[in-house]
This record gives sequence, C-alpha cells and structure tokens, in this order.
Amino acid sequence: MNALKRLVEELDPTLHERGRLAIVSVLAAVDHLTFTELRDTLGMTDGNLSVHLQKLEDREYITIDKQFVGRRPQTTCRLTRAGQRAFTRYLDHLEAIVQQGRGQRGA
Amino acid sequence: MDARQAARNLEVIRTLMERTCQYQLLTARAGLAAGSLAGAGAIAFFFLDPESAWQFGITWALVFFGSLLSATISIILRGRQRGERVWSRPARAVLLALAPSVFAAMAFSVFFFARGEHLWLPGVWMLCYGQGALATSAYAPSPIRWLGLAVLLLGCLTVWLGTGWAILMMGLVFGLGHVGLGTALLVSERRENTIRLHREVA
Repeated sequence: MNALKRLVEELDPTLHERGRLAIVSVLAAVDHLTFTELRDTLGMTDGNLSVHLQKLEDREYITIDKQFVGRRPQTTCRLTRAGQRAFTRYLDHLEAIVQQGRGQRGA
Repeated sequence: MDARQAARNLEVIRTLMERTCQYQLLTARAGLAAGSLAGAGAIAFFFLDPESAWQFGITWALVFFGSLLSATISIILRGRQRGERVWSRPARAVLLALAPSVFAAMAFSVFFFARGEHLWLPGVWMLCYGQGALATSAYAPSPIRWLGLAVLLLGCLTVWLGTGWAILMMGLVFGLGHVGLGTALLVSERRENTIRLHREVA
C-alpha cells in the first residue's frame, strides 16, 4: 500500500487533472490541433479549454501559436518535447499503479 | 487513485488518442450493406451475361454507388449520433490516402472496357481496393487493415485464375469480405460502447 501511495503522489499534478490530461492525450496523437478542434473533440467550453491550455503552456508542455488564416484568427496547439516526456512518464506511472494493484491482489 | 481508476484512465486515454487520429465513423452497417450488395451483384450474373460489357458495367456500378451511398448515409448518421463533424481531419486524411487507388481503378476501368476485356477488372479492382485500404491503415481501425491485405492477396489470385472466375471472386471477396468487415466492426462497436467516453475524463 505504501508503494501504491508513493506512486500516486508522484503523478504529475499538471497532467493529473482530467481536462488537461484529455488535452495532452489528443495532442500526443497528432502533430497539432486547432483550438476549435480541441474544443469539439473534448466537448469543453471555450473558457474551460483556455484555462487548461494556459496552465499547460505555463509548464511548457504545449506551444500555442496564433495566426490569421485569411481574415480569421486561428489558434494552433502542439505538444512540446517536454510535454511528450511528461505524458510518457504519466502513462508509465499509471501502468505501475495498475501493476502494483495486480501484485497486491495476487498477494 | 487506485489501480482500477488507473486502468480506466489508461483505457480512456487510449480511446481519446484513437478517436483523434483514427477515422471512427465507418460503421458496421456500411460494411454489411456493401457486402450484401456485392453478393447480390454476383448472384445477378446467374441471370445476366458477364460477357456483356453493359450488363457487367451497370451491375457493378450499381453495387459500387449503392455501397457508397449506404456508407455516406451511415457515416452522416453516426456523426450526428456522436456529435462529431463528418468532414474532419481524419476524414480528410483517409480520402487523401484513398485518392490514388480510386484514380487508378477508374483509369484501369476505362482502359479495360475500351479493349472489351472487362472481365479482368475484378482482379484489378481488388488490387486497387486492397492498396487503398492499406494506404488508410494509419487512420483506420485494424479490421480495415486486414481486409486490405486479404483483398490485395485475393486480387492477385483472381488475376491468376483468369476471367472465368471473375464474377465468383467478386462475390466472394467483396461480398463475404465486407460482411466479415461489418461483423468485425460490429464487435468493435459493441466493445467501445462499454468504454466510458472522453467526457468521463474531460
């Protein structure tokens, strides 16, 4: 149980929030996504998504580029290498928690 | 968080990633409809003359456009059901990947019909279809990949067997093949319905 508790405590708090984890999960699967695509894929409101994106950008897990396509502003989000590494570490932690749970059930 | 929650989170992450880059709107119903139409097309040649270019062309054109229509309708309905846009990034990627094979199939169709050798087309269509399906494999659920590989190999067999087997192979490969695809997608759809969707995470 101590090992499990330690693993849970080691989870990255930035990614351990549902909305941010969902954002990073979809960005990990593609090169980039626009704000609109993220919002529509995840079913978030504009405000909610903006707050999460800001926090991820503050941690340098994503980059946010704003440009004009024609006359329309477009915001594009990409996962950085640091973000990819953090996501991979988070997945490894989850796997370790699952394995720890299996080990405890077997014991 | 306990181990069960961690396992569930991993499953939801996997689903989210798949839904982002995979084309998910293809339905089992579309596969089953295409398979049924292809089977009906092959059966029709018990009454029609396969040597007749017109009868051959019209029958398989009806099967093709009927399958396309059924797929389009089911994709639109599935998109509405899921609240997803039909014209999406994965959809564009799939169409772009398919375009060369579709173009090649059309070009070969014109060529072989012009030469009066249309009975070679089933094998050629299978080769183009198999190649197209494999080209979308980065964006498609795994049953599409296996179907593509199977149709590619069976296309080679069809060409090798010759024109006498063309209609039968069309029925078997496109008919049974799509029924098999539809069945595999049905199993996959039922499994996905038991996985809680991304809104559980977001």
